[in-house]
Amino acid sequence: MTTGIQGWHAHPALLSSYVAGDLDAVAGASIEQHVSRCETCRAAVGQLLEPQVLEQTWTGIRDAVERPALPFPLRLARRCGLSEPTAVLLASAASLRGAWLVGAFLSLSFATLAAYASGGTALAPFLLAAPLAPVLGVAAAYGPRQDPLEALIATAPYGRTRLILLRTIGVLASVLPVTVLLGLAVPGPPWLAAAWLGPALALVPVLLALAGFVGPRTAATVVSLVWSGVVLGSTRAFAPTWPVEAAQQGVYLGLAVAACAVIAIRAGTDRQPGVAL
Amino acid sequence: MGTTPIVTDAALVAAVADGDMTALRELYERHGAWLHARLIRRCNDHEVVVEVVQDTFVALWKDARRFRHDGEVGAWLWGIAFRRMVSRLRSRRDVVLVPDWDVSPAQQQLMPSAEDQVLLGVEYGDLAAGLRRLSPEFRSVVQAVVLDGLTTKEAGRLLGVRQNTVKTRLHRAKAQLRTALTEPQEGWR
Amino acid sequence: MSAGTSTVELTGVSKRYGRTRALAGVDIAFDRGVTGLLGPNGAGKTTLLRIVATSIGADSGEVRLLGRDPHRSHADVTAVRRELGYLPQELGYPSDMTAFGFVEYVAVLKEWNDREARSQEVRRVLDAAGLADQASLRISRLSGGQRRRVGLAQALLGDPRLVVLDEPTTGLDPAQRADLRRTLSALGHRSTVLLSTHQTEDVAALCERVVVLAGGTVRFDGAVTDLVATAVGQVWLADEPGDDALVSWRTGTGRHHVVGGVRPVGADLAEPTLEDAYLLMLGPDAQRVHTPS
Repeated sequence: MTTGIQGWHAHPALLSSYVAGDLDAVAGASIEQHVSRCETCRAAVGQLLEPQVLEQTWTGIRDAVERPALPFPLRLARRCGLSEPTAVLLASAASLRGAWLVGAFLSLSFATLAAYASGGTALAPFLLAAPLAPVLGVAAAYGPRQDPLEALIATAPYGRTRLILLRTIGVLASVLPVTVLLGLAVPGPPWLAAAWLGPALALVPVLLALAGFVGPRTAATVVSLVWSGVVLGSTRAFAPTWPVEAAQQGVYLGLAVAACAVIAIRAGTDRQPGVAL
Repeated sequence: MGTTPIVTDAALVAAVADGDMTALRELYERHGAWLHARLIRRCNDHEVVVEVVQDTFVALWKDARRFRHDGEVGAWLWGIAFRRMVSRLRSRRDVVLVPDWDVSPAQQQLMPSAEDQVLLGVEYGDLAAGLRRLSPEFRSVVQAVVLDGLTTKEAGRLLGVRQNTVKTRLHRAKAQLRTALTEPQEGWR
Repeated sequence: MSAGTSTVELTGVSKRYGRTRALAGVDIAFDRGVTGLLGPNGAGKTTLLRIVATSIGADSGEVRLLGRDPHRSHADVTAVRRELGYLPQELGYPSDMTAFGFVEYVAVLKEWNDREARSQEVRRVLDAAGLADQASLRISRLSGGQRRRVGLAQALLGDPRLVVLDEPTTGLDPAQRADLRRTLSALGHRSTVLLSTHQTEDVAALCERVVVLAGGTVRFDGAVTDLVATAVGQVWLADEPGDDALVSWRTGTGRHHVVGGVRPVGADLAEPTLEDAYLLMLGPDAQRVHTPS
């Protein structure tokens, strides 16, 4: 602490020299030690710097504080070219947060491990999890049953349908690539690695179509139960790969087309404001 | 500005911990400038300095709860700021983070007046003269550890030497300076 | 788009929810200025506002908003929504968003794509709603009245030509209500502002024009002063309440404020308030929900 001399302050010329960088190291060090403790001299230094610089710096601070950073997956996406407004819209979707994606990744990894360890006989966990991960992700991104912002989303120019589609694409883009990679580790015929895409890309439109009638929660539950029934039920009577074999893929394609048609018809014919997916 | 503040820095930090944005603004008004000036002396790159100052106050906003009210807010902020600067500039070689202690003849003319010699006396007693007589490698550890508040480990990383080397040099520097000290200064342990 | 028509025009609009008829053949038009919708719960105020805010559609009748028919096409309804600010009656807030973040999210939904311009606008509306210092706080840490003002702030984004506010004064204290009055009155110079409330004090404080709704129909549509004028000669200050008074209550001075019925003996004629006129207009319907101030 300063030796007994109370109320000593640096001479303005001295401070000017310091700010200009004209003082030698020792004198500079002395000033620094003093200024860091003396509010009067700190204020004096403040007067010596350009107000514009200080204001600009403050603007940066305020912006960073007011707007919390995007979740990590979205920061990555931004760097890959995702537009800024879109990132803001996706930031509020729960299933695009790190925690959810990590959870999905872990479940899928365990399912893959099970398939791998069993040498291709225990495919059920993987065939169950791989299509359901995007379905549940889309349902979670849909928003809570009574989305707190529902009324505002419904009456905004952006459009509720567009927002739901955006979130769906966001979930698919984040979940599908990882699942594809994991699928490569699943033992079996080579087409198996991508075969789960068939049910995945069918169940998502089914979910969306159904959610338009009964809401996302109910729709997700129904879809999950039905798919689980199909996969688990088939293990009794058929080969492990049955759920994704060619004949079934045809069914899934049909389902996907039908679901998309339902969505399109609903969005098109019902012109009442506020009705969408 | 310049009048006796009614609210202490510590109280403002507590308010920031509570989410008070105006308290953050007030702390910036008080400390932003001198932090900026002190950082510029270490690094000429203006943009980097602005970013470091911004990062410092954003860190303050996020971690205000961690402030142990056992020291000066100014010193705490400097600690955050300088560490941030060091880690930022670790890869850059064109920047010197430790001021040059060699006094060139040109700078001699800008030496403070007699009145300001009082300042040196006030802050460091006869330390000033002793500091000047220190050999260069001792000066840099003194600057890093004593004046800028880094730990010996951090100083070692900054100066590119082992932590033990830093400790030894510091010890020797203290010994050299002990004779020049008239009384204990803050930062010495 | 036709010029010279009102901002909002409803002709013969009806809406049903199951067996309940929320609106029955409402004919009304709104223009620039601040209009209050007054009425008891269940009168159809929220339904009407939701139709104007394009949140729901009408079952029958014609709706024209800003010269367009929102039922006609997606392009029409989107064009209306671009000039619309809406504060719903029930608005939830994701608890982990900051006030700034929330309003910014809505700003993006309203197509503010440039980050700089958007930030400035968000700050502007938060300031207008009196929340400049609370912008960085999480919504979960704001009081009820502050949350309502966050909702108000997002409705002001872009200075919309049509502003629909459903119960904007819930949770506001008198000082905040005065602030709101200033904000809305400034807004009313350029825009059509529609707000609903079941408190007559709000209408008296905030609006120039009042529409009284009850049972899904319009009972009164005109200036606030005109509504008050309908009660002249039917409000008294008496020592004893009249027998057939519509409603009466004891005032602080010990005398009774008597509305309606025959003039009690020894009563003095009193200056009617908006509340008195409202009670008289609605008769028994109003009695159920009136709370004396």
